[in-house]
Amino acid sequence: MTDRVIFACAVAVAAVYLYATTLIPSLEIGDPLGPKAFPRLLGVCLLIAAGLLFVETWKERGRGEPLAERPAARDYRHLWVVAAVVAWTAAYYAAFEKLGYVLATAVYLFALMAWFNRGRWLANVLTSLLFSALSYALFLRLDVNLPKGVLPF
Amino acid sequence: METLAHILNGFAVCLQPINLWYTFVGVFLGTVIGVLPGIGPSAGIALLIPVTYGMNPTSALIMMAGIFYGARYGGSTTAILINTPGEASSVMTALDGYQMAKKGRAGAALAISALASFIAGTLGVIGLTIFAVPLTSLALKFGPAEYFTLMLFAMTAVSSLAGRSPAKAMISTVLGLMISTIGIDLQSGQPRYTMGIPELQDGVGFIIAVVGLFAIAEVFYTMEEMTKGVRPEIIRLRGSVWLTRQEWNRSLMPMMRGGVIGFVIGVLPGAGGTIAAILSYVWEKRLSKHPEQFGQGAIEGVAGPEAANNSDTAGAMVPLLTLGIPGGGATAVMMGAFIMYGIQPGPLLFQNRPDLVWGLIDSMYIGNIMLLILNLPLIGLFVRLLYIPGGILMALIMAISAIGIYAINGNLVELYIGLAFGVLGYVFRKVDIPVAPMVLSLVLGGMMEQSFRQAMTISGGNPAIFVGSTICVTLVLLSVLSVALPFILPRLKAWREGAAQEKA
Repeated sequence: MTDRVIFACAVAVAAVYLYATTLIPSLEIGDPLGPKAFPRLLGVCLLIAAGLLFVETWKERGRGEPLAERPAARDYRHLWVVAAVVAWTAAYYAAFEKLGYVLATAVYLFALMAWFNRGRWLANVLTSLLFSALSYALFLRLDVNLPKGVLPF
Repeated sequence: METLAHILNGFAVCLQPINLWYTFVGVFLGTVIGVLPGIGPSAGIALLIPVTYGMNPTSALIMMAGIFYGARYGGSTTAILINTPGEASSVMTALDGYQMAKKGRAGAALAISALASFIAGTLGVIGLTIFAVPLTSLALKFGPAEYFTLMLFAMTAVSSLAGRSPAKAMISTVLGLMISTIGIDLQSGQPRYTMGIPELQDGVGFIIAVVGLFAIAEVFYTMEEMTKGVRPEIIRLRGSVWLTRQEWNRSLMPMMRGGVIGFVIGVLPGAGGTIAAILSYVWEKRLSKHPEQFGQGAIEGVAGPEAANNSDTAGAMVPLLTLGIPGGGATAVMMGAFIMYGIQPGPLLFQNRPDLVWGLIDSMYIGNIMLLILNLPLIGLFVRLLYIPGGILMALIMAISAIGIYAINGNLVELYIGLAFGVLGYVFRKVDIPVAPMVLSLVLGGMMEQSFRQAMTISGGNPAIFVGSTICVTLVLLSVLSVALPFILPRLKAWREGAAQEKA
């Protein structure tokens, strides 16, 4: 099943990519190939790779997936957790410059730890505060400028 | 003779206090990264690249190489004590190492893996020292067509060996090449596939992609595992980290054989440390007089694979330094570091910057000695890292990734691009598509297209140039063979088995 989805996605990407290649404006002087030739080759290669995957899936079809890998009731909770972490990380990046590195990072870390390292409040608070402040100071010394944001220092 | 002078001068470079210090920092961080499951040398090196921007390139590269080979030492500790490989390449060490630990021989397992790593790691660096110069003189004969076919071989080899499904690995390779075409075309000045996003005009930053694909994706995956509630038990290290005379005698030959296997596999593109370790394990089991002990705590099953995955790192440096073409994921990231410093690894580097090349190679002798000390008497300190709660560690890796990406250009959009690669890497892992081929083609893609076009310009648009020299023909044949092999081998085996059955 998964392999069929990958096959479909690969074909779709190849199609979009080949279409986008036709949109590249090109004046072919001095360079017999121009900016389109290599990409065209890649589009074809992706189609070939998708074809190989199709052959692989075709050969496997008789065996079928073992039943153990297909639990009757699928548990999707862990996938929601990952999606939430992705969204929370995007929110962190959005606040990265507005709030400043130290504040945004401390809040971001604390929330992650509160979920994934539950119950150890003291350790979580201390780690998130200390890490944010110390890493800021360290990178300041290494001439890496992290956003200052709303804090005065 | 001149080479000998360069080698000796390399020691003068790497013995400078500043470089000794960075060798130490590198191997120390490497051991830490190796011990910690969930973060590997590729991610570690990529996260360090932005931070080392202002450093002297020799010191920075010495440090990054230290992370690369140091992680192989640390990876075994985790494999032995919690039955989870700290690095993918220590997966075989877990089989017998963990069984030894359960029987109370954790100290012996740790000792032999450190010793095997040291002996084979040093053998590997000797091999690197010997083979580097002859290979560079071969590489000097390479024109654009030869380089193109060489990169083609590197990619096809990685595709056919990187995962269970060669087709999926090939998809990963081609997608990486496609991503590398994003941005302004160097020859015609035309923007390609930028979708109107100005940040994409310079292309997708390699380091951003690597941080996303390795560090961020791995955090997502680990967080998911944590939600499922898998928590391994840590075996406490008791007694001294040493082994008996008999255990040493049993390990000696496996270490030597593993060292040779690892170096050869390392030099060849595609396979890498994990396959080197598997081959060594299978070989030792076949040679052993008591194969039934394998999987039950046979010390040969720790010594061989640990030797193999360490000499592999030195072997992997051979094509990177002499040809300028990495053969796997971690060396691809190293290549990204070279490029960031404006240094093109390859044969010319041996002529123009012998101090840098030999300083780097010679530092690996010193680094291996430091690693032996870190991993034998001081291993107890590193074991404590395993007690850091995963929730804290994963959160910190996310914050460090953000610093790493932001430090490159101070650009917010790049953070989101990194996050997108993190999601991509996570999805790839879930559907069993390997990411190493993509990383390799991301770093080689631009060069590959350039050499393709240069070759075609030389030949006036005639593709026959790619079979125009012996080197080209050999490399093209090797590429075709490595694509075809995974499809032919099962048939050949089935055919032979069929033939054998008919006879019987």
